[in-house]
Amino acid sequence: MQNNLHPSWTPPQDFIQVESQVTGVVVYAPRPESAEQDQARSYACPNCGANIAYDVAAGGVACEYCGYSAPVQAKQVGKSAENFEFTLEAIAQSSQGWGVQRQILHCDSCGGDISIPDGTLTATCPFCASHQVNVVASVEETLRPRFLVPFKITPQQTRSLAGEWLGKGWYHPKELSANTVLQRLTGVYLPFWTFNTRVRARWRAQVGYERTSRQYNARTKRWETRTKIVWRWEDGHVRLNIEDHLVSGSANRHISHQILNRLLPFHLNALVAYEPDYLAGWQAQAYETTLTEAWEIGKRAIREQAKKACHRDIPTSHVRNFSMSADFTDEAWRYILMPVYLAAYQFEDQIYQVMLNGQTGVVAGQKPVAWLKVWLVIAALLAPGVFLGLIGLPLLMVGGIGVISIGLSIILFVVGVIISFMLYNQARQSEAK
Amino acid sequence: MPDQTSQTEIITESQTLWHTDRSPSGCNHCQRVFLLPPSHDGTNCPLCRRGTLEAQPVRTRPADPERLLPFNISKQDLSTAYEQFTSGVWIKPEDFSAEHLLRRSVPVFWPLWLVDCNIRGNWEMEAGFDYQIESSKDYYEGGEWRSRKQIEDRIRWEPRVGVLETRVDNTTAPALEENDNRMKMTGKYQLNQAIPFNPDYLGGAYLELPDLNPEEAWPLARPRVDQTAARMCANAAGAQHHRNFTIQARYDNLNWTEFFLPMYATYYTDDEGAPQIVITNGMTGTVQGPRLASRKRGMRIAGILAAVAGAIFLLALFGLLIALILPPAGLIAGLLGLLGVFIGICAIIPAVWPGQWNRKQEGPRITNPEGERR
Repeated sequence: MQNNLHPSWTPPQDFIQVESQVTGVVVYAPRPESAEQDQARSYACPNCGANIAYDVAAGGVACEYCGYSAPVQAKQVGKSAENFEFTLEAIAQSSQGWGVQRQILHCDSCGGDISIPDGTLTATCPFCASHQVNVVASVEETLRPRFLVPFKITPQQTRSLAGEWLGKGWYHPKELSANTVLQRLTGVYLPFWTFNTRVRARWRAQVGYERTSRQYNARTKRWETRTKIVWRWEDGHVRLNIEDHLVSGSANRHISHQILNRLLPFHLNALVAYEPDYLAGWQAQAYETTLTEAWEIGKRAIREQAKKACHRDIPTSHVRNFSMSADFTDEAWRYILMPVYLAAYQFEDQIYQVMLNGQTGVVAGQKPVAWLKVWLVIAALLAPGVFLGLIGLPLLMVGGIGVISIGLSIILFVVGVIISFMLYNQARQSEAK
Repeated sequence: MPDQTSQTEIITESQTLWHTDRSPSGCNHCQRVFLLPPSHDGTNCPLCRRGTLEAQPVRTRPADPERLLPFNISKQDLSTAYEQFTSGVWIKPEDFSAEHLLRRSVPVFWPLWLVDCNIRGNWEMEAGFDYQIESSKDYYEGGEWRSRKQIEDRIRWEPRVGVLETRVDNTTAPALEENDNRMKMTGKYQLNQAIPFNPDYLGGAYLELPDLNPEEAWPLARPRVDQTAARMCANAAGAQHHRNFTIQARYDNLNWTEFFLPMYATYYTDDEGAPQIVITNGMTGTVQGPRLASRKRGMRIAGILAAVAGAIFLLALFGLLIALILPPAGLIAGLLGLLGVFIGICAIIPAVWPGQWNRKQEGPRITNPEGERR
């Protein structure tokens, strides 16, 4: 409907005409900020037409052939990045997943149509090799990534960082060559949900207080100190302000959450408003864990924090019949992308995953373990105790020296068992998915 | 000021109006003008009860009124309503009874303007959109967590601007200077139950004529027209709420018609013989008016109690004299003295209470056009 009702009047800038439900009334609303950004975009060099991609060192899109470079015009928003409420619409739309199974993306460079799989935000045109960035497939505008942390670690730096990481630890096979991994580290923007909430937790429990008294024991004819616990019902409340609680949006079957958690933290102060330029030439994944699923995961962790806070509020360690309620208010979420380098490598018929935090350079992953080395070390740790015990047994015949030897052997054995257990766990974790 | 298309004319006292057999009569005390049923000239004005209604010319619109709300309350309902109204006043004037109120009640239709106009201009507002959010409350007991979902309603406010060119029909506007006061007295009407004006519905009711002409009523009507426009703009934007609505518009093709609302007017006289007007909403039965206590009766009761107290006190003094001879009589004399003092103190209550009660009767009352409270 044209504004011919009142020709002398013009709407403010950044207002666009929207549908009116009443005849005779023309309505203008602020232009949605993201409408332009979300258009699918192709990346070809304006100078030479070659393929261009985001260059971490240059901080913008760059052409490796002619040297063209353009910085990304994105606003750093940090932790003040907009949060969204848990509206019923957002919850319903998030649970529908990321649109259709496969989408057709039209390449602006060569005009070809590319079929891209569900959840893929970037693609490379198979006809002209130009990079494509597409986030328009989401059913709901707010469920498109609005913010991201850009890569700070260059692909070149990943080699040294990963090499350093691989060199650490004596219990890995010597044959594990750094090069096998370094060749395959791929930068991927992974989906994350962040949650803010306020929690008001009320607890009620029987709290025990120790009462010490001196009493005369007629049987032993001695004064004895007795400690008694007096139980009392008590209640209280604590408040928690949770900010930026991070939950991975990737499914555990694709990305190991255990390894991903070891990459944390990401510094959210570096959050920038989403710009497709950052994704040019890089892989990016959309969420697989829906908003409600992620919030359930986040909530489980947050309410355990609240439970710990309630226990801290109780003045003694003697607690029984503990119950509590956690009232969540002002829950808000963000859907963001985080920079991670991923690699998978094969060693002795086994696939191992390695990840590198693209912002901080922290490396975590699976490393094969040379179990022979581990068992030898464990044997060495237990041997002194066993050996001293074997010596101590015949010495028991002699007298006191045997007792000392047996006592010392028990201590050495226990210490050996503890260290062995820790070592074993560390080795297991190194291999764990 | 937009152009007023409504035309007013002088209607003489001998002319009838609006296809009825009624002609105008005015109160020679409060200046209110009514269309009376035939042969009601010379009766008391139902809204001031001080003057009489006499035939007179009036300047008004000869075109028929547009709508009226019919009476919904019968005389039986009125009787119950007046019983409730008069109960609870301790020392009432003798004239203040449900029976008197019922006998003197007169049905009156009082006027509002209905204004139709074209409106054309640009507007801006904050449009409010309802939405719901999901929250939760989790419980930990016996080593297990349970979660309970909670749904909260919220409003999202967003700016909207636009242009408007439409016709707004049937916006109500005051037709009486004392409109706001009258509305306070009657309470709200369900205006959506109005029917087209038909003289058959008037019965024996008095028809009060507007004392504000459309030119005077327009400044009062315009904010209401703007409110209607605001609702239209909110609807157009798909919003459920709106706030901070502003509009710069031209209003033209104004059309004014009358809209009549039903009420009963009755009265009782206070201590001084002044009529106290009581109004009843003809649709809902809400009764409003001053519920005065009688100072005169209060003083009379106080006087009787004081006399009784004095007599008992004298008796006590006499008992004291007897006590000089017969000491046990002193006890009785003392008790009598205390009783006399108690009754004497109690006598103050009926003397003071009516004044205190009357001071609290600060609700809306019928005023005359000059604003004098009766």
